[in-house]
Amino acid sequence: MPTIDIDYNELQRLLKVDLNGDMEKLDDILSYVKAEVKGFDEKENAVTVEFKDTNRPDLWSIEGLSRALRGYLGQEKGIKTYLLGKSDVEVKVDAKIFGVRPFICCSLVKGIHLSDEVIKGIMHLQDKLDQTNGRSRQKTSIGIYNLDLIKPPIIYTAVVPSEVSFVPLGFSERMSLDEVLEKHPKGQEYGHIVKKHQLYPMLFDSEGNVLSFPPIINSNDLGKITEESVNLLVEVTGTYYQTVLNTLNLVTLALIDRGGKAYSTTVNYPAGKDYLQSSVVTPDFSSRVFKLAVAETNLLLGLDLSAAEIADLLGIAGLGVESVSGDYLTVLVPCYRVDVMHQVDIIEDVAVAYGYNNIVPLWRELPTTGKAKPDTAFINTARDLMVGLGYQEVLNTTLTNPDTLFTKMNSAAEKFVELANPKVITMNCLRNQLLPGLMEFLTVNPSVEFPQKIFELGNVTLPDALAETRTKDESWLAAVSTHPNADFSEIKSVLDSFMANFGFEWQIRAVLHPSFMDGRVGEVIVAGNCIGLVGEVNPAVLQAWKLENPAAAFELHFQSLIDLKLGRM
Amino acid sequence: MVELRQQEQQLLSTLDKLGGSASIEKLVASCGFPDAAVMRSALTLQEKNLLAIQAATRNIIKLTAEGKTYAQSSLPERKLIQAVAELGGKADLRAAAEKANIEQQFIQIAQGWIIRKKWAFYDSKTNTLTINDALLHQMHVPQGCDETLLKYLSEKEQVAQDDLSAKLKDAAEQLKKRKLVTIEPKTTRVLKISEEGKKAASEATISVPEVTKLTPELIITGKWRETKFQKYNIQAQVAKTWPGKKHPYLSFLDDVRAKLVQLGFQEMVGPQVETSFFNFDALNEPQDHPAREPTDVFYIKEPKYGSLETHAKAVEQVKQTHENGWTTGSTGWGTKYSLEVAQRLILRSQGTCLSARTMESGKYSVPSRHFAIARVYRPEITDRTHLSEFNQVEGIILDEKLTLRDLLGVLGKFAMEIAGAQKVRFKPDYFPFTEPSVELSAYKEGYGWIEFGGSGIFRPEVTMPLGVKAPVIAWGLGVDRLFMMKSGLSDIRQIFCQDLDWLRKKQVT
Repeated sequence: MPTIDIDYNELQRLLKVDLNGDMEKLDDILSYVKAEVKGFDEKENAVTVEFKDTNRPDLWSIEGLSRALRGYLGQEKGIKTYLLGKSDVEVKVDAKIFGVRPFICCSLVKGIHLSDEVIKGIMHLQDKLDQTNGRSRQKTSIGIYNLDLIKPPIIYTAVVPSEVSFVPLGFSERMSLDEVLEKHPKGQEYGHIVKKHQLYPMLFDSEGNVLSFPPIINSNDLGKITEESVNLLVEVTGTYYQTVLNTLNLVTLALIDRGGKAYSTTVNYPAGKDYLQSSVVTPDFSSRVFKLAVAETNLLLGLDLSAAEIADLLGIAGLGVESVSGDYLTVLVPCYRVDVMHQVDIIEDVAVAYGYNNIVPLWRELPTTGKAKPDTAFINTARDLMVGLGYQEVLNTTLTNPDTLFTKMNSAAEKFVELANPKVITMNCLRNQLLPGLMEFLTVNPSVEFPQKIFELGNVTLPDALAETRTKDESWLAAVSTHPNADFSEIKSVLDSFMANFGFEWQIRAVLHPSFMDGRVGEVIVAGNCIGLVGEVNPAVLQAWKLENPAAAFELHFQSLIDLKLGRM
Repeated sequence: MVELRQQEQQLLSTLDKLGGSASIEKLVASCGFPDAAVMRSALTLQEKNLLAIQAATRNIIKLTAEGKTYAQSSLPERKLIQAVAELGGKADLRAAAEKANIEQQFIQIAQGWIIRKKWAFYDSKTNTLTINDALLHQMHVPQGCDETLLKYLSEKEQVAQDDLSAKLKDAAEQLKKRKLVTIEPKTTRVLKISEEGKKAASEATISVPEVTKLTPELIITGKWRETKFQKYNIQAQVAKTWPGKKHPYLSFLDDVRAKLVQLGFQEMVGPQVETSFFNFDALNEPQDHPAREPTDVFYIKEPKYGSLETHAKAVEQVKQTHENGWTTGSTGWGTKYSLEVAQRLILRSQGTCLSARTMESGKYSVPSRHFAIARVYRPEITDRTHLSEFNQVEGIILDEKLTLRDLLGVLGKFAMEIAGAQKVRFKPDYFPFTEPSVELSAYKEGYGWIEFGGSGIFRPEVTMPLGVKAPVIAWGLGVDRLFMMKSGLSDIRQIFCQDLDWLRKKQVT
């Protein structure tokens, strides 16, 4: 979830509230926009705010956040209007870029006073947008330049990597594009985005000076803003037009909020079948229009609001109402509210403005019958029985590793489900049996009083080529007893009692199994099928687990018994 | 007349013979009873005021490692004087040391002690040792008290200082200075006979023969009627018994399941290894969403793809909803939808995929209520508040007339029935698949406010492509947090902890 750090005093000033350091109060205010305080550094006067909603980039700056909150605090109503002047700056898009990174949108921001704080805030927002909305620059990336150093028109094109060189930001020597990918930290981080293409994206001004190598890095000459920069060029490139435009709008609005005046540019696309549009003026601050039905609003919320009341609540939520006609409202959604996809998003804003805690909860008795899954009752009876037999139930993770499952059990690796991206090496596959987990459990309890008798009834996951998910989950049951006199007859007796109580006839058939001692292990046969093993654990296994007492164990494919019981077989 | 059991009588008279005061160890040695028997009888005798059990602190002498070595061979001065004797009673110091095989650094020590013990004279001019005449006549140099003590300790390992004679006590102090023994205080129990006890010991008190164990034979023959049974010290500590028990967290989940069934919910099932389609796509999460990155969800190594053949209609409708909103009234995500991405196998990261499966199956009635207790997985670094594998309890309610009011009502019901809360509070929340979305906080006496659940009404982008026409409430409960609070745990790892002692001692609820 995205987080931002904001200046505590600045926030109090913008919201016209005195918090007195009361973070719970701030939490209540932030809850209107689904955000909460994650930290408060009193020394630095910095509040860390976390947003649950990942689709609200309009909130990721102190200005955007307070813009949204002022409505709920009763200080402003409706859409905040932003002015946009016109400029004759032109951006020419070369046809070659289409297959690489097709879209660009630009704006100009003039007369801005950039303090160190403001630059930091802008960089913070830029980074958040690049990472989250821009999917780590894959989908969109932002560049900001000192406009006064640039000679328009601006050319957006694609070039052969070896044929262009420039000085990347933070370096002093010229590098070819290949060298940038190899040597510059940003090249190393984001190079994969362009490497799959023959040609790389490039932004030049009319004199052939490099602005940037999107989405990797700006030029050190033109692509650097400082406290002395007054007039800026903002550019966003990317693979989805709407996201590119939304991102440009958000950055430009944030700069207006910091005192700049915005001007549009004209992006001219090449003729041909690739691009749907030929010429676009960006940014575009116009609102989107949604029709909202009063009836559907009340139907979803369970309230009885009039059109006028809804209009009023929409105003609090920072949305506009163009007109009200009969049972419909024509709602204006400002350009920065990119999260709105559907009427329901607007209805939720109505509910938030109304106040969740002002809505009377309703519990209706519905004629529904509760039912646990069919396996549950039998599973619980089995657990009761094991408990009655004196065994402590344990709970192990289903994530484990082949060393635990096979090596330490002295057995060969059987079919199991592996992860492509384990977080830790000890959890890189799903268990396909339970006994290794029990042995691991015993290992960490060497000094707890003996006898130790434990069992687990839980899921194992096995490969199954015929299943839709190529795997199947089964309930298995394993039990182990360990103490100086633990032996085969003890565990067989427990298993026998377990089976007898469920009325299962079972036989035992001699078998060789590397996890158990020869001549002291058998297959458990029910209805002609082998459904498990019972035996004395091989001392090699005990030693691998650093256990000093003999252990006797059984493991059952309990699922087979469930299926038998429920008539599924 | 006092009536005593045989063992008690024997103990009392032994104590009397030992002068009326003795340590437990001494009595164990003298009576030949085991330690516990002496203690048991002593406690009974004390109750009868025949003796008193006193804790006495005594200095215990033990050999050090060096002391053990010398106890086994002999002291260096002993070796040296023997060499002098063998060399005729007078010898050059160096020659004697060489014969005695004494290392250079110990020669002076050995010589010093020989002089101190007055075994020989030392002439510094000639560097010779001459054995004391008196000793020479005796033909051997007698053993000193220190050597006696060393020998005793090498056999008995330890001795109490006040059990020693005055001479041996001095020897012990000397050996302590030489770092060959340690003398450390140790508390021991000493029994002291009382005046009444002395009397009882001398008056040949009647010892009644007693039986400890009631046997089948005694019962069948009826002999138990004439038998005197020993009374036990019922205060004595006994061995621990550990019952088999259910795991506390699983028991808690059993209770939650029972409650939900009671509230009219049916349990849903679904696979742990899931397609991205049910875990994400069907829940309106765009295919390029960061929550689907390998940093946030586990991918299966092999095979990579599952089959969506039997869900073709839903897949097509979800695809269109993602790309352009289909007929849901949504703008959609505007991004290209990939079937390959949809088929990619993962470990389910949220229990909501079970709700998606239930809705897609069409196997439900309206109204109906469903729930699942699902193991879910996320590539988290495990710490006090995070597990890479945990359980989610969640579900859905389908009904034609559901509204946000019902949603709040359901959450309130859960808070009361499952968490036993007194008050609830709602906040706006966010899930990609619900709108409106609500966070539930519950107030429970003694616990304060806890975030207890998240919930919402499924977006049309979720229900319509899966063929559901009625509004659907989706809810999830923070059961792990509730369990931790109920059990007084502050570390979520305790849920899967492998501490048998904790499980054995955990109280049942």
